[in-house]
This record gives sequence, C-alpha cells and structure tokens, in this order.
Amino acid sequence: MLKINNLHAKVEDKVILKGLNLEIKPGEVHAIMGPNGAGKSTLGYVLSGREGYEVQEGDVSFKGEDLFEMDIEERASKGLFLAFQYPVEIPGVSNMEFMKESVNATREQRGEEPLSATEFLKKAKEACKQVQLPLDFLKRGVNEGFSGGEKKRNEIMQMILLQPSLCILDESDSGLDVDALQVVANGVNSQRDSARSFIIITHYQRLLDYIKPDFVHILADGKIVKTGDASLAHEIEKEGYAFLGKEYEGVSA
Amino acid sequence: MSQWLTQVIDDAKRVDDFLAPMRQQALSKLQTQGWPHARSEEWRFTPLTSIKERSVDASSIAGNYEVPEIEGLNAIDLVFVDGLLVTNLSDISLPSGLSVYALSDAPSAVQSKITSLFGHVKPARHVFGLVNDALCQQGIYVEVDEEASIDTPLRIVNLVTKDCDAHTRVLVNLGKHSQLKVIEHGSGNVASFTTAFAEYVIGEKASLEHYRFALFTGAAKQVGGSHFSLQHSANLNSTLVSYGSELSRLDVDIIHAGEHANAKMNAIYLLAEGEFFDLHSTIEHAMPNGTTEENARGIIGDRARAVFSGRIHIHRDAQKTLAELNNRNLLLSRRAMINTKPELEIYADDVKCAHGATVAEIEEKALYYLLSRGIKRSKALVMLNFGFIQELVNAIDDESIRTWLLPMLSERFASMEVK
Repeated sequence: MLKINNLHAKVEDKVILKGLNLEIKPGEVHAIMGPNGAGKSTLGYVLSGREGYEVQEGDVSFKGEDLFEMDIEERASKGLFLAFQYPVEIPGVSNMEFMKESVNATREQRGEEPLSATEFLKKAKEACKQVQLPLDFLKRGVNEGFSGGEKKRNEIMQMILLQPSLCILDESDSGLDVDALQVVANGVNSQRDSARSFIIITHYQRLLDYIKPDFVHILADGKIVKTGDASLAHEIEKEGYAFLGKEYEGVSA
Repeated sequence: MSQWLTQVIDDAKRVDDFLAPMRQQALSKLQTQGWPHARSEEWRFTPLTSIKERSVDASSIAGNYEVPEIEGLNAIDLVFVDGLLVTNLSDISLPSGLSVYALSDAPSAVQSKITSLFGHVKPARHVFGLVNDALCQQGIYVEVDEEASIDTPLRIVNLVTKDCDAHTRVLVNLGKHSQLKVIEHGSGNVASFTTAFAEYVIGEKASLEHYRFALFTGAAKQVGGSHFSLQHSANLNSTLVSYGSELSRLDVDIIHAGEHANAKMNAIYLLAEGEFFDLHSTIEHAMPNGTTEENARGIIGDRARAVFSGRIHIHRDAQKTLAELNNRNLLLSRRAMINTKPELEIYADDVKCAHGATVAEIEEKALYYLLSRGIKRSKALVMLNFGFIQELVNAIDDESIRTWLLPMLSERFASMEVK
C-alpha cells in the first residue's frame, strides 16, 4: 500500500523529518505516537502533498507508484485520504456540494459514472447519520461554525463517503469527549477491511482503546525510533517518553 | 465630435415636450463637453469607439419579446421593449399609495413634480446621462405617498430585442416614512445601443430595497445609471448584478443629502469570455452621521475586462460618517483584466472609513482542503470563488430573487473556464 523510504522533509527552513522509514500493507492499522514537534502532522501533510512542505530526500511509493509524482488531487482521487486535525472552514461552499464534487472526482478516477444528485443525497444522509451529525450539516458551509468535535465527525463522514484505500487520521481524537470519540472510532472501525489501511496519528493512547492497531510506532525528532504492537501504546501512557533520552524526561503521553 | 453624437443632438432638437428647458440645458452641456476624451479619467477604460461612429437607429416598433419570469416575486411589471413602454398603465391596478405615470402622458400637476426630479439626482458630468436627458421620450415617474408601505414589488423590465438606439428613464419619489421595493431588470443580446437611467429620491425615514440586473451580453451595448438621493434617516439597500457585453457600463451615485441616512450596496459582476463591464460608483457623504457599506465582487473570464471605480467622498460637514468600500475580483485567466480603483476622499476629521481591493487571492488552506479531497484544481478554484459571490446573493432580502438568481449565476459561472 505505502512504502516510505528514508524520508527527509522541511517546512520553510526547518528540517522536520530526518530519515523516516515505514511500510504499510493492505488492511493494516498503524498508530504513530510521539511527543509534540516530533513531525507527526508533518508526515500527514507531506504524504498528502501540501504546498510548503519540501521533500529533500527519500521516496514514497503508494500502490506501487511514485507518490511525489502526483498532484494533491491525484493522490486523493487515487485513494489517499487525510483527516485533518484542524479542518478549514469554507463559508459559501456547501458541505453537500463539496462532498459530491469530491466523491465524483474519485469515481471519475476509477472510471465510474458520476452519482446523480439523488443517489449522492441518499449516501450522504446515511453517512451523516452514521457519524451522528444532524442532516442540516449537509446544507451548511463546509465546516462553517462547526464545533471542534463536529469538524472531526465531518472528516470521518467524508472518509466514509470517499472509500479511500489509505486513511491518515491526524489527531482525530484531540478535543473530543468520550461520546464523540466513540463516534469517530466506530466510523473508522466500520471501514476496516482486508484491503484498506490506516495511519492513526495520535498523542494519546485513548483512541487506541477503541481502534486496535496492528502496529504502534514512536516518532521522535523526525524518525521512527521504536515499533511495537498495541501494548507499546499502553507503555507510553504509563511511562511517558523518558526512554527517548534526557530531554524527554517528564514528557507524558 | 462623433458622428453619433452629432446626430443625437440633431434629433434631440426636434423633441418638444414639458421637459424642453431641461433637454436644452443637457444639449448645451453636450455641445460644450463633446465626446469624452480617450484619456479622461471617467472613460479611459470604456471602449466607446463602436458608439462614436455609429449611425442612430431609433426604434418606433417594439420587437417580439418575452418578459423574464422571477417565480414567486409577484411584482407589478412595467415593461420597456426596445425603448418603448409596452405596458398599458391604465391596465394595471396599483396598491393604494403608489402612483405610476408615463413621462409622455403625465398630467400637468405631475409634470411639475417630474421637472423637480429630472436630472437633479443624476450628476451632469455623464455624457450618456446627458444624451438620455435630451432624448428620452419614454419613461416613467413613480410616486409613493408619505407613510405608504408598498408590499408589492415594482419591476421595471428593459428588454432589447433588435438593433436600435433607445433611451429610457425612470424617476422614483418615495415620500416620508414610505417603503418600496424596485427591481430594474434589463436584458438583451442583440446588436444595439441603449441608455437607461434611473433617479430616486428617498424621503425622510423612507426605505428603498433596490435591485438592478444588467444582463446584457454579446453586442447589446448599454450605458446606464441608478442614482439615489437620501434624505434624513433614509435607508437604501441596493443589489446590482451584471454580466458583460461589448460595452456595458453602470454608474451608481448615492448622495447622503440628509443626516443619519444609511446606504448598503452590493454589486456582483460575472463576465464570461471576452465581455466588458464597467462599474462606477460615487458615494457623496454631504451630511453627518451617515453610513455606507459597499461591496463589489466580480469574476472575470478569459479575455474579459472589468473596470471598478468606487469613490467615497466625505464632505467637511459629514462628521461621524461610517463608510466601507470593498472590491474583490477573481481573474480566471492571465488574459482576464481588472482595473480597480477604490478611492476615499475625506474632508471631515471624525469619521470611520475603510476601503480595499483585492485581485485573485485564493486562500491557500481552503484550496488545499478541496484538492486533498480529489477535486480538480480548476473546479476547486471555481467552487471557492463562487462562494464569495454566493455570500452576496445570500445577503439578498427577497427570497424569490435569491432563489432565481443563484442557479442562474452558478450556471453561468460553471460554464466559464479557468485557463
């Protein structure tokens, strides 16, 4: 699915990723944890192709193709999905119109016919119910005036509609109460199958109680420094990041 | 002098009615001013050459027409076709408090009211405004009685269906504490040249909800204006929507003639490939405590050109004025053009004013968000930027107009290509 080899990347003049390696196979769920500033969000942005994030070294293949040869929209329509930590508000563009365009762009990439307005509405309503958002959220501007939790659910709704093959969740748990956390986790779990892979970027172990990862990686100073199974997340929760060295003593997960 | 203007002046000399003294004044100003100089500030971007040597083709018969419908509006329609008023005013029933007269058929008691309004709100500097003064034979005078609140909207439809030169005029007088909704609805796409000017006096504490749709395309050239004089505590809420044609120009003047008047104006222009539109607005704050909020937003297609000149003039006595002027533009191609000039001229010291203009600023974060969901860049740009037009459409008070306008504009927009 995804193979990251020796990835170095910088933002403006600051080098953030310093030789990151990671391989994700179809159907696997990988959690990436790490202290603030380790480069977790940067990894998501670099993979999705955000401007201003410059790849200096290394390569990434996505479904066997060179990811860095693709535009942002091509990566997305080929199945890479990033659920944002802070989804942007776009007044004036309705959530419905936005999601219909994005679903149909993906369908076009797959050689499928675009959905009609009625067909799309049916799917959107189902997805909206699944993430427990009121239906009028479809008519509102994209994320406009949504609370933090509603924005996160809106991201999960898009994921459900787009049916991507690789989902990257960037701190989709931050700022959520237990109920909202369960909605997000159930949304993710409903999409797990043998073909779809996930990268769960999180600061806390909490989300991983609901979404059981196959692997847990610790990202520190731009590299993956430790890999384990789900139990590693519990260890971090208890012990903090002190094992990473002196500067991380007292830094809790 | 241009061939066209010479002929216009000749024709105007033959017009003889109760407006003759004012037509004479306009003619002598036209003769002195002559054809606008190519470098004159008012006209330097407006392509007047095609008019300059045009031969006048005055229309005497209206062509076939169909009045565009705005569902649910239920307005009283006054229809001009090729410059001729085709609505028989005696056939329409008006709500009490509202009177409408044809200029050509106004009783003498009304004539004096007309002469006291005609040419008094519209500034005399405008060459085609003067032509309209001198030549308009068809026009209407609308009066709203004091205290009358007219629920039924009044729509003045101006259709151009064939090659003609036509000059129409609308005069509206709102009495104290009255309310009215007026829609000036123009459209046409055949080769022609028309002028359409409207003057409004909004009386003390009166409110006018105003719309002007200048939907001229192709070779339908139109120069027009809507001009407003606001008396003490008067309210104006105006929305302009324009397409572009070979030559399309709209002048708006808002004069705060009394204290505590409030003016709000939103303008939307959507220019398809190769079209031209020129919007000149002038706000005169002559008295204290007035407010103005003006937003003009446009999208300009390939090889199209828009001109925006927005001036707010705050006179020395106009203390405590609040004025805002903003112009935003999106160019869809490197060959699209905008000349924008927001101007504040302030002579009072206790005022709060802001102005600004932006061209083609795409918000990076929002664009990235749409792209990251697989939406193509060109489509994403259109979606994001139709949003800023849609905001102004959503701000429209009248629901039927909103419902009519939005799909019409988004369809036009969707057909425009980003190059």
